[in-house]
Amino acid sequence: MEPLNRIIEKSKHLSFDLNYTYSKQWKSADTSRILVGYLPIYFPREIVHAANGLAVGIFGVGDRKQIIRGDAYYQSYICHLPRGVIEMALDGSLDKFDGFVFPAICDCIRNLSGMFKLEQKGKFQRYFDYPQNFDLSIGGEFYIQEMKHIIGDMSGINRVQVTDENLIRSIRLFNINRRFIEEIYNIRQEYPWRLSAVETYYILRAGTSLPVEEHNEILKQVIDHLQNERGEPMDNIRIVVTGSFCEQPPIGLIKSIEMAGCYIVDDDFMLGSRLIQGNINSDTGNPLSALADAYINQSAFSSCYYDVGNPKGKRLVELVKKRNADGVIFSAASFCDPALLDRPQMQKECDIAGIPHINFQFHENTGQFKVIKEQAGTFSDSIKLWA
Amino acid sequence: MNKNILTIGIDVGSNFVKTVLVNYSGNPEVLDKHTEKIRKRNPSVVSEDMIVSMLEKNNLRYEDIAYLASTGEGDLVKRKRGHFYGMTTHARGANFFAGDTKTVVDMGALYVRAVKISENSRVLDYKMTGQCASGSGQFLENISRYLGLSIEEVGDISLQAHNPEISSGICAVLAETDVINMVSRGISTPNIIKGIHLSIAGRIIKLLSSLKGESPIMLTGGMALNKGMVQAIEEQLKETGKNFIIKTNPDAIYAGAIGAALWGGYRHIRLSEKTTTLSV
Repeated sequence: MEPLNRIIEKSKHLSFDLNYTYSKQWKSADTSRILVGYLPIYFPREIVHAANGLAVGIFGVGDRKQIIRGDAYYQSYICHLPRGVIEMALDGSLDKFDGFVFPAICDCIRNLSGMFKLEQKGKFQRYFDYPQNFDLSIGGEFYIQEMKHIIGDMSGINRVQVTDENLIRSIRLFNINRRFIEEIYNIRQEYPWRLSAVETYYILRAGTSLPVEEHNEILKQVIDHLQNERGEPMDNIRIVVTGSFCEQPPIGLIKSIEMAGCYIVDDDFMLGSRLIQGNINSDTGNPLSALADAYINQSAFSSCYYDVGNPKGKRLVELVKKRNADGVIFSAASFCDPALLDRPQMQKECDIAGIPHINFQFHENTGQFKVIKEQAGTFSDSIKLWA
Repeated sequence: MNKNILTIGIDVGSNFVKTVLVNYSGNPEVLDKHTEKIRKRNPSVVSEDMIVSMLEKNNLRYEDIAYLASTGEGDLVKRKRGHFYGMTTHARGANFFAGDTKTVVDMGALYVRAVKISENSRVLDYKMTGQCASGSGQFLENISRYLGLSIEEVGDISLQAHNPEISSGICAVLAETDVINMVSRGISTPNIIKGIHLSIAGRIIKLLSSLKGESPIMLTGGMALNKGMVQAIEEQLKETGKNFIIKTNPDAIYAGAIGAALWGGYRHIRLSEKTTTLSV
């Protein structure tokens, strides 16, 4: 078994390799392999895996790349993520990718798909919409059609047919992946000091540029390591961080929250890898339908998804209770309309449930965390001493 | 086995690390204290060494300490049970010095912070100096070095001033230029130092008035030990016509560490109660 510190270091490197070296090497080993880049949040990676492809998460550049041309594509009141992504597209970082999927998040990502089309990046550029109708025969059918478009795009490149058998195999592998991730979160709920939120983040994010089989192996080893004591418990408060589902928070921000005396026991940083709760049915003759069913009936909540009948605020409160958390930090990217528009309603639900909360905003390239640390520190003290 | 609730508070500042050993049982009492200048060393190593030497000096083991609490740049302290934010600990430290404290002015190396507190040490509101270092202890230390003085001397020298020359209170760079000009114009050292004190005091008064600070005011942090600084604040306050009571304490530099140790004791008891309730 590889030492945990080495796994974490490797995951950190994979998470922030903006040239996607490992993914490109994986592709170059076989001419029928394809690379499909996908933007946050969620995308059914199973269909790419079943087509002998690797779905690679493109989650922005953080503070690791200077934006030169990207700023010319977006107004100043637009978030930072799409600027970094277009910068990567223009500087050749994404050249080996065969196609790109832009899951429906907001107008900025929709426009980004158009820019990729105009710039002719990849062999296909697909805006991937989600059903707003949760009737399987309507919304589910729509979702299946959306997936079929991408399957068609991919087979047009490598001539690999996505069979039911292959897709079921892929679903099973991703079921294991989700189960392992959930297990890590469950262990962290009990023993948050054994793996910090930043380390957890690296391990999850690495999985968006690796084949799922390899990521499962990493997760398995991490779980084994976490059975043993590591680090020492601190008198910290336990919090849920929400609102960072698309543009990713800088590592310094996650560290600052932790250093200010907070254990992050749940978050939505890498929500796409955890969106589907539980297993997707793999004992079926219709795996596409199973994927659609899972999206409609087993999704976690997020500001980007329509939630009629199952409001996000109430689900956030349920999550806080499930994780036995003391409070919530609403941490949204600046100019993130979905997160910021949802915030008042979610705060109201927290108020009703008596859950303390604070909020702040960030850019993926924010470099100063003093104010955030101050806010999180006083929040932690107020709960520890006065709640 | 030691039945006392012993706690350690460690305050990692930008210039000094301060540690205190407190007996939290009954009426809390400071048993030991120590300050160490960091002097370009690794603050983590300095902190750990200070904890070890405090334990050794008092014939204690790490396990004898019910709660080791950090404050300031506490993430640099590797061995600890919990961390409290600077304002929270200075509030508690000030309340320990004088139970009737309503406003705390923490005068540290990098900034000055005015904090309004409740009678049970809860932070109600605060204001702090901005980015510029001209209102900080570090600035005062730099100036004293230019003038060939040690930081311990400046308080007494300031008291000898008769005609202080006010320097820029906005920018440390401008203030340093002012001081160079004053030296070349033959202004005496006490008058220069007093002028700087008055300039820093002016910024503190502005903080207090925007905070709507209430009396009594407790000065904490390293600069609170500087008699010249305290006198300058009192003079400036008088000019505003406010009859504020200004208090200091010989242990003012330990206010953060003492506050951390006291909150640590409080948390230890609360956590023990929780554990007892759970086991019942």
